[in-house]
Amino acid sequence: MSIASGETMAAHLERAAALRATIKRLYIYVVLLLIVLLFSVARLGEVEPFGPGHFLSPDSVVNMLRIAAPILTLSGAFTLLMISGYIDLSVGSAMSFSAVVFALMIRGGVPFALAFPLTAAMGCALGAANGLLVMRLRITPVIATLVTLNVFKGSALLIVPSGLSAIKSIPGRAMPAWINDYARAEVLFGLPWAFYVAVGVILALVVVQRRTLVGKYAAAIGGNRTAAELSGIGAVRWVWGLYVLVGLCAALAGTARASYMSIGDPLSGDGMELDCIIAVLLGGTAFSGGEGSVAKTVVGALIIVCVTTGLMTVIPAFWQTFAKGAVLIGAVALNYLLVREPARC
Amino acid sequence: MTAQTTTMSAGPGSERVGTLARKLSNESFITLFMVGVLAVLFAVACLFVPNFWLPRNVVNLLTNYWYLIILGIGVTFLLITGNFDMSVGGNVALTGVVCAWCAQAASGSPNPLANGPGLPYGLSVAAALACAVGVGAVNAFFIVRLKVPSIIVTLGTMMLSRGLAQVITRGAQRNTSLPDVFGVVGNTFLPGTSLKVAVLIMVLLVAVAFVLEKGTVAGRRTYLIGANAEAARLSGVKVGRHIASLYLLSGLLAGITGILLASEFKAGVSSRATGYEFDALVICLLGGVSISGGFGSVLGMFVGAILLSVVTSSATGLLLSPDWQFTLKGLVTFLAILAQRFALDRRST
Repeated sequence: MSIASGETMAAHLERAAALRATIKRLYIYVVLLLIVLLFSVARLGEVEPFGPGHFLSPDSVVNMLRIAAPILTLSGAFTLLMISGYIDLSVGSAMSFSAVVFALMIRGGVPFALAFPLTAAMGCALGAANGLLVMRLRITPVIATLVTLNVFKGSALLIVPSGLSAIKSIPGRAMPAWINDYARAEVLFGLPWAFYVAVGVILALVVVQRRTLVGKYAAAIGGNRTAAELSGIGAVRWVWGLYVLVGLCAALAGTARASYMSIGDPLSGDGMELDCIIAVLLGGTAFSGGEGSVAKTVVGALIIVCVTTGLMTVIPAFWQTFAKGAVLIGAVALNYLLVREPARC
Repeated sequence: MTAQTTTMSAGPGSERVGTLARKLSNESFITLFMVGVLAVLFAVACLFVPNFWLPRNVVNLLTNYWYLIILGIGVTFLLITGNFDMSVGGNVALTGVVCAWCAQAASGSPNPLANGPGLPYGLSVAAALACAVGVGAVNAFFIVRLKVPSIIVTLGTMMLSRGLAQVITRGAQRNTSLPDVFGVVGNTFLPGTSLKVAVLIMVLLVAVAFVLEKGTVAGRRTYLIGANAEAARLSGVKVGRHIASLYLLSGLLAGITGILLASEFKAGVSSRATGYEFDALVICLLGGVSISGGFGSVLGMFVGAILLSVVTSSATGLLLSPDWQFTLKGLVTFLAILAQRFALDRRST
């Protein structure tokens, strides 16, 4: 950008900073719109606009939002954890484990009203275990949660009887038909309970981040943990709490996934940690913590859902991993270009 | 006065420690500690698992993780500098697939997976290695130039390389119309033994890495960067360039592994090496390499690999279902981290 004559350097810098701030605030919405637009026009030759089979047909939108319930539930809490400078790679396994436990309870005749809170409580315990490893035993977050990733995943696989690939109906012990209700049956606008629970979790977390001390503390710990502790914030306690919160949300996501698939699949959460990282990075959360927004992560999560479901209609399934990897690396590059501190240029 | 002398002295236990033990560096101490753990575990396994002590099984224990050890060399150096490389598993799959694809002849069969450009094997290997180093270069660019945390970037390149392998093989594998020479390296045995050439390559690479680590300036710089990157930069070490070359090295090693594995199975399989990135990390952690920087050794990683080998084969020997492997690896790693920290803490007091 050239400096207009008569304009002072300070005014120019101010304008550049304002422009940067605007881009930073709005780019994620533009990306989402562009992706939706792209998939809307991709197959116009074959299907009617908004008709059956179209990306934006009512059926397709409802289906996408139903599929989106787990990641929407999970990514908000994941954002708060990353803002505080920590990471939880075990979320996918915690989700699978919860799905298996939930399905096992339901098949065993436990009513939903009991199985749901029990699974949620177990999720809190899984999160607390992560918090113990990272905050009390001071194991590097990546390593500690990679360890628990394997332990949770292994436990989920061990719960499922050998010979079966998942907890499902077997002769003599059938899965009740209402297992689908939570994540598939319509309650409002064609969307199921799981989706509204996800929306509720998101709204609660947005309020928590913007209107309560938790949001401020997370940012302070992520910005500079020592400074935060010196100003009286008990970092160990707060981040431990965030790990528990992530565990809880992973369990909720697991119940939604199990209910959607009507089985308890011990691999159903595989790769969820990567989806969460992509959503968080697309949402502009700084790599090393300190700033970020739950609301924007939700937009990032919607982008992932659009890309994964949209791509399936356009290119063969074996492109899926590559596309996700490209989106992750693209998100990293975008995040760097748009969100980095100007001082670090 | 008395309080002062107690805090100043090294504690009552230190007189009993011999001079030799005191001369040991912390790294050698941890390596020896893990050798001790290994010996105990091996003895216990011999008691409970039938035929565990047989020489044939011992040779197998020492060599069957050759692929993880080759990958572990690069991962060890990177961990010492405080960086992760989670892309090695995907990179192994990608290089194997690229090598197979390039070597496939144009058979004229309607199946697209049976046709390739039909390059000579040497050129295929070169192309595969170029891909492998390319993945390392992408890692290096994002981590060194853009200063993105290594875990995020290498998880991304893990998916990119695995995804590319799936695209080339359409989610399956390429194993037809391959020239005979493709399977030679991976299936030749050293004369008079049951050891594959790959094991010899592993031993050579470990030896080179050991010399590199202990005897060269570059090796010592790796530790300096890990201990304090800022101090290293101020004393004139080109930190960025060093870490970048370590990522290229790690990519190259993954490429070598991928080519050897593809040759052994005479196929480029897109799902090959799933989870190897975690296994490579596990053997490093078992061998005492620390992510918090400047600590660890290739020899320790080697010991860690044998330790993992003993644990997994005794689990198989005890007829535990394969589903146990994830839990077992996680728990063993967790215990090893705690035990090493405890041992080091006891030593320094």
